[in-house]
Amino acid sequence: MKLSDIMSNAGLSVFAEVALVLFVLAFLGIIWWVFRPGNARRWESDAQMPLDDLHPQQPRQREE
Amino acid sequence: MADSASTGTVQDGTGVIMEEFSYDDAIVRKFLFATVIWGTVGMLVGLLIALQMADPRFNLGLSFTSFGRLRPLHTNAVIFAFAGNAFFCGAYYSTQRLLKARMFSDALSKFHFWGWQAIIVAAAVTLPLGLTQAKEYAELEWPIDLAIAVVWVAFAINFIGTMIRRRERHLYVAIWFYIASIVTVAVLHIFNNLSVPAGAFKSYSLYAGVQDAFMQWWYGHNAVAFFLTTPFLGLMYYFMPKAAGGPVFSYRLSILHFWSLVFLYIWAGPHHLHYTALPEWASTVGMLFSVMLWAPSWGGMINGLLTLRGAWQKVVDDPILKFFVVGITAYGMSTFEGPMLSIKSVNALAHYTDWIIAHVHTGALGWNGFMTFGMIYWLLPRIFQTKLFSKKLAELHFWIGTFGIILYVVAIYSAGVTQGLMWRAFDATGRLTYPDFVETVTRLIPMYWTRVAGGSLFIVGMLLFSYNILRTWQSRPARYDVPVVKAPRLTPVHREDGPKAAPIAGLLPAAVHRSWERKPILFTVLTALTVIVASLFEIIPTFLIKSNVPTIASVTPYTPLELYGRDIYIREGCVNCHSQMIRPLRYETERYGEYSKPGESVYEHPFLWGSRRIGPDLAREGGKYPNLWHVRHFANPQEIAANSIMPSYPQFATTPIPWAVIPKRVDAMAMLGVPYGEAINNAEAMARTQAAAIAADIEASGGPAGLEDREIVAIIAYMQRLGRDISAPTAVALVGDGEQP
Repeated sequence: MKLSDIMSNAGLSVFAEVALVLFVLAFLGIIWWVFRPGNARRWESDAQMPLDDLHPQQPRQREE
Repeated sequence: MADSASTGTVQDGTGVIMEEFSYDDAIVRKFLFATVIWGTVGMLVGLLIALQMADPRFNLGLSFTSFGRLRPLHTNAVIFAFAGNAFFCGAYYSTQRLLKARMFSDALSKFHFWGWQAIIVAAAVTLPLGLTQAKEYAELEWPIDLAIAVVWVAFAINFIGTMIRRRERHLYVAIWFYIASIVTVAVLHIFNNLSVPAGAFKSYSLYAGVQDAFMQWWYGHNAVAFFLTTPFLGLMYYFMPKAAGGPVFSYRLSILHFWSLVFLYIWAGPHHLHYTALPEWASTVGMLFSVMLWAPSWGGMINGLLTLRGAWQKVVDDPILKFFVVGITAYGMSTFEGPMLSIKSVNALAHYTDWIIAHVHTGALGWNGFMTFGMIYWLLPRIFQTKLFSKKLAELHFWIGTFGIILYVVAIYSAGVTQGLMWRAFDATGRLTYPDFVETVTRLIPMYWTRVAGGSLFIVGMLLFSYNILRTWQSRPARYDVPVVKAPRLTPVHREDGPKAAPIAGLLPAAVHRSWERKPILFTVLTALTVIVASLFEIIPTFLIKSNVPTIASVTPYTPLELYGRDIYIREGCVNCHSQMIRPLRYETERYGEYSKPGESVYEHPFLWGSRRIGPDLAREGGKYPNLWHVRHFANPQEIAANSIMPSYPQFATTPIPWAVIPKRVDAMAMLGVPYGEAINNAEAMARTQAAAIAADIEASGGPAGLEDREIVAIIAYMQRLGRDISAPTAVALVGDGEQP
């Protein structure tokens, strides 16, 4: 049996729905991460990066 | 490596160890010069082919200056040489500064530069010679493809190495755009160019027909996305804040812009194949994702423009900001138009017409061109450490360029809509109003001349730009000052989440992102995965589910002579002007005949469906005209149709067929699974027999004698075969006496 026979009979139409759900979930996760209030300060400092070519905005790891 | 040589360490007052290093601007200067030189060359070739469409005498009567061979040179030069070098120029400048690190290896930077220029030179030599794979923007033959892969990998290693050595904890969003561009272009390039060589500079695509078309436009559309869009968005997110003097309008929006593009773009390719033999589900998926792309694209455009909030008055007397504002606006216009064109009913009118050419040039001249100009004007005083020679000249460049773009696109939009409407016009009796294809071309000639004027203005701007650069460069200091930068080393990564959070970190997008965003390699891998997984969701069904490509029993492989004729068709770039794909629309079937079926192109390595009809579709050309008609038509198309703009090919009647290569070509096709059977062993004899029969027919009908070993009989054999298989009662005799049925 060739690979194409197996794939043709495998009922893969559900692939599309799985893909849709996975990608939408991933995207919702990104939206949540972007708008999380806890990240607001980080975005502010990251946005400054192109304006200073000489000094890192966050040079070191935050100490725990 | 210069990096280690120039890196020292000092302790600051608080005991933090500071590293000393410098940025490599020499490489930026190199790429800048290459951008300007190749940009000028690519645009001049564009001007020549624009003239050829207005008047075919500009084909100059030489095979290597004919439209079919120069059109790929123009597209490759402006995309990979002009926009490519511009991206590298800006990326090398901004990456080092955003990461607070010198490039990982100066040697790799130089290898990247010289390797890329060598590839461009190879392209400029091979394309006019007719060495081509016949797939748009992937025309370069396999040895050059391998070189591209090597140089690209060197660039990727250099880039990732720099990220690992960075002294800035977070990666700025521009870097994300660069990473996505680098990994995606690598994936696209490799998979679309897989082929079987049939000689040092000849190969056949691994895929055939529908699948090849699918792969090509998966590649082709994403070349636009990841070579012309995301790299320049990265540049926009660095250079726009620089020029405006403030941070980007919304950093949040820039992140959403990035992820939306990465998630959506890769699916959109099939919109290039609406109403073709591609399965309809794929075409619909392509359309839906293209329409969705409108949102992030406009988000990005608004983000770029609003970076000027509170600084709009600066635009008045800053040519750099003027270029950026028009460039970003052009991005907005072409990303509004793109989704619109991907809607099937709009596409039915626009496909195969100049509308697409106008759309592309709004993006290429406006977005890529103007962003490059703005960026380079900004860079000039900084990397040459002097003043810009003339701001007035830059202003003039801006206005001439803008006017040139408008003149170009307005004329070509009109040409596209005019021709599209003429093709579909029926008169009151239900017949085509313009049954003669040439009529629909003649009507466009004034617009083609207007394009020549618009394009010339854009090139005049380019020359002013070059002059300004030259004079600025002349006033450079005797020695460039190399400032020493000091920054502390990144301390080793340790988890931000407490130990308790660690076990579930994998389930939380935020935690996951924070931990892998610090690890650039992982980030790169995940970006690549997003792109590859999305691709596979479209590719696997197209390749492995049989119902997507129904076969037709009467469709058989080309005879050896026809195969060689097809190679001539590929060599001359006929596919740049002639489609071989009749859409199932009434005005197409009325004009050209039965619509094209997927099963008809199962042996088409590569597919030759085409994307533009500068001349008529040829899918059902076989048997339409006698052999002698073709002999005369190739020798001088204007003798048959006075207003035709086709170049003439008198050399077909004098160039001998290199019989020895035919068995090699047949072998390569057989390796790809084309069922040649016995023909493999007597390909040359079969070809000679068929050639003799055609030559005899030409002579018998009053044509010239002695054509049996000339290329003209091979290309005629191919022309006469096109589109006939589905009406053949039995399989075309391939094995055996080799006679034409």
